[in-house]
Amino acid sequence: MSLDVQRQTQSLLDELAARQRWHFHHILIVALIIAFLVWCANGVDLRPRETFSAVPVIADYFGRMWPPKWSFFSEIWKPAIETLYVALWGNVLATIVGVPLGLLAASHVSSSRIVRSSAMGILNVFRSISELIWAILFVAAVGLGPFPGALALGMNYGGILGRLYAEAIENVDKGPIEAMEATGASKLQVIMFAIIPQVLPQFVSYNLYWFEVGVRSATVLGMVGAGGIGFELITAIRLFEWREVGLILLFILAMVTVIDLASTYIRSRMY
Amino acid sequence: MLMPNAQNTTTMLSVRGLTKSYGGTIHALRGIDMEVKKGEFLVILGPSGAGKSTLLRCLNRLVEPTEGQIFHNDVQITGNRRNLRAVRRDFGMVFQQFNLVRRLSVLTNVLTGRLAYRSSWRSLFYNFPQEDKRIAIECLARVNMDHKAFQRADTLSGGEQQRVAIARALAQQPTVILADEPVASLDPKIARQVLTYLREVAHELGITVLCNLHQVEYTREYAERIVGMSKGRIVFDGTGAELTDDVIHRIYYRDPDEETAEEK
Amino acid sequence: MTAVSFETAVSAGLAREAQVRHRRYIKQAVWGAIAIAVLWYAAHQIKFSPYAVAAGVPFMWDFLTRLFPPDLSYMSVLGSATIETIQIAIWGTLLAIILSIPFSLLGARNTTPHIIVFHATRVFLNALRAINELVFALIFVSAVGLGPFAGVLAIALHATGMLAKFVAEEIESVDKGQIEAQLSTGASRMQVILFGVIPQVIPSFVGYSIYRLDVSIRSATVLGLVGAGGLGFSLIQTMKLFKYHQTATCILVIFLLVLVSDWICGKLRRKVI
Ligand SMILES: Nc1ncnc2c1ncn2[C@@H]1O[C@H](COP(=O)(O)OP(=O)(O)O)[C@@H](O)[C@H]1O
Ligand SMILES: [Mg+2]
Repeated sequence: MSLDVQRQTQSLLDELAARQRWHFHHILIVALIIAFLVWCANGVDLRPRETFSAVPVIADYFGRMWPPKWSFFSEIWKPAIETLYVALWGNVLATIVGVPLGLLAASHVSSSRIVRSSAMGILNVFRSISELIWAILFVAAVGLGPFPGALALGMNYGGILGRLYAEAIENVDKGPIEAMEATGASKLQVIMFAIIPQVLPQFVSYNLYWFEVGVRSATVLGMVGAGGIGFELITAIRLFEWREVGLILLFILAMVTVIDLASTYIRSRMY
Repeated sequence: MLMPNAQNTTTMLSVRGLTKSYGGTIHALRGIDMEVKKGEFLVILGPSGAGKSTLLRCLNRLVEPTEGQIFHNDVQITGNRRNLRAVRRDFGMVFQQFNLVRRLSVLTNVLTGRLAYRSSWRSLFYNFPQEDKRIAIECLARVNMDHKAFQRADTLSGGEQQRVAIARALAQQPTVILADEPVASLDPKIARQVLTYLREVAHELGITVLCNLHQVEYTREYAERIVGMSKGRIVFDGTGAELTDDVIHRIYYRDPDEETAEEK
Repeated sequence: MTAVSFETAVSAGLAREAQVRHRRYIKQAVWGAIAIAVLWYAAHQIKFSPYAVAAGVPFMWDFLTRLFPPDLSYMSVLGSATIETIQIAIWGTLLAIILSIPFSLLGARNTTPHIIVFHATRVFLNALRAINELVFALIFVSAVGLGPFAGVLAIALHATGMLAKFVAEEIESVDKGQIEAQLSTGASRMQVILFGVIPQVIPSFVGYSIYRLDVSIRSATVLGLVGAGGLGFSLIQTMKLFKYHQTATCILVIFLLVLVSDWICGKLRRKVI
């Protein structure tokens, strides 16, 4: 090999070494990150030894849940199904909340900046307050029961879905919209014939996904008195009835799995 | 002829009665017999679906043949899955879609050609010995891509990516390079450039090259020996001069009657 | 084409259109009826009624007036709880990121050592996903005592389920060509994972981890409801003491925290993707 090529190879090797070398600022950044994480760990009582010793303790607690107390089934199937109803209505209410706000927050639909940003602002408020806090508010307003649970899911997930709807509308193909406008169609006609058909499958898929998430959330709404299986769950845990807890968790798992499978099936059929 | 290594007559590859069927119904290879000499630049020509890719993939055992034997330097490499990594290391492969890891740098992509020489544990830290780095850079220099060593692979054009892919194959220090339609995704000018690189490095390093093509034009220009395939069989074996229109017709448009007769 | 046959073609087309339309109407009507029946029954079961909403409005109003105005002086007390919330989320997510690396590799069809391991991992991850952080937190509070540590573990387990399943699916959808190219060099399974699979899934892994951090911060704000540290604890405590102006402050701080985290995480995510 010629001397020239050898020199060229060596210079690239040197450049590679230089790129892979640790510089002072790299070390500084890593040190700062580690210091930050140690500070965080300290704040939450996370220490290596205690964390490792917690593993067998936790395993023991889950061990106590086996075998599940099957006889308890007769008491939990009703609240379990109620959980599904709460999630279902939560999803419906979320759509009712999300569609109009989402449309108003999308630039293809509403041309006024003020309207758009206030719709987005409302969605952000709804979204940022967790369903449990909404549930506490609604329980205070309409009393204990599944109904405030559905309202709470409606508000929180309405905010989430509304923003997703708005983003979906923002990202539609603009060609058909322009083509419709060129034919002299009205704003409403453009929405109905050019925007909705494009975004509908996406809306449905968002709804399905957030219904799944909603079912999982609905299982804890009962902890604040907003219906569903959460009340039975928190009671069983407070009473240290671990085998009852085991049955409830198993039931939730079964429910969520079935819904997962169903919604995967529906989504695969949709496209 | 362009052959500095002179005509080396030792056999590099020998294939006997190779067949491959998928699910017992699709016969991709129906009995391939061929010998390839050391340092040969061989083009396998055939229409799409002829079984060219399957043949190359059988050679480095990405596909397990149904029947038949393959000898590499007189050593049988079929049947035994134990030495699989060593066999594959000896066969560099170049793909139609380049198949570089798009998010890695050009140099790291070439370095992956050295993986088979190193233990998995060492790779765990994305660390290569200095010797490998030197080899990788030299291979890049051979295809004139060393000036882009630290760029991400997905910032390169198609032709450049294919040159990097050739460098990756060279980094394996293989005895054979298998190129599966290496220029099918490139425009004619770049395609000729890539084929030229492929032929040059092969000759300079004495590597045997088996190159799949479906374009007669390039085949005539570059091949020293041509093997024509059709429907899983070899239907021609000769030089570019012997590749007459008649032969091309036989490779590309076989008589449907003849075919059905053969199926029986 | 003659005028007559043209007319026949048009009327045939119209008839066909009507037929298709009617069939679609019938289908839609059937599905609509089923949906309404299910929703009506569900509404009945959860005692959902517009009247209840209407009747609830005065109570709601009453409650809101008791919340307002938020007691802003209470904010200074909430500082440490806010920091704790963030710390819980960060460590919960970090543990989940670490745990999800092996679990996602075991739970992807193309990298799992055995199909049985694959199915077992998926069942385990589904269990982690199905169980809400709050449920884990309740159990852990019993197991390791009140405090943020239980919260960290709760977030870590649930987030591992979510993250690992997502990454496993990303691993399953990597570009096969890049993998095949590395196999053909003679690279070992582990080397192919390191040099072929990981570089391909890194961007979505990082992106989803950031998203998960955002979600974890949101969850960490309510873990205190069951005694697992953070702002939720102050929220429920002030409510139990009927100090509603302070409760309002808690809600306000939670809202601001979530908003800021959403904003920062969104920015970070756009940067990596
Ligand atoms: N994995 C596979 N499963 C089933 N059939 C295959 C598979 N790979 C290739 N084939 C079939 O084998 C035949 C030969 O394919 P291939 O070797 O790719 O041909 P070529 O590369 O010449 O276009 C084709 O009919 C193809 O459909
Ligand atoms: Mg092919």
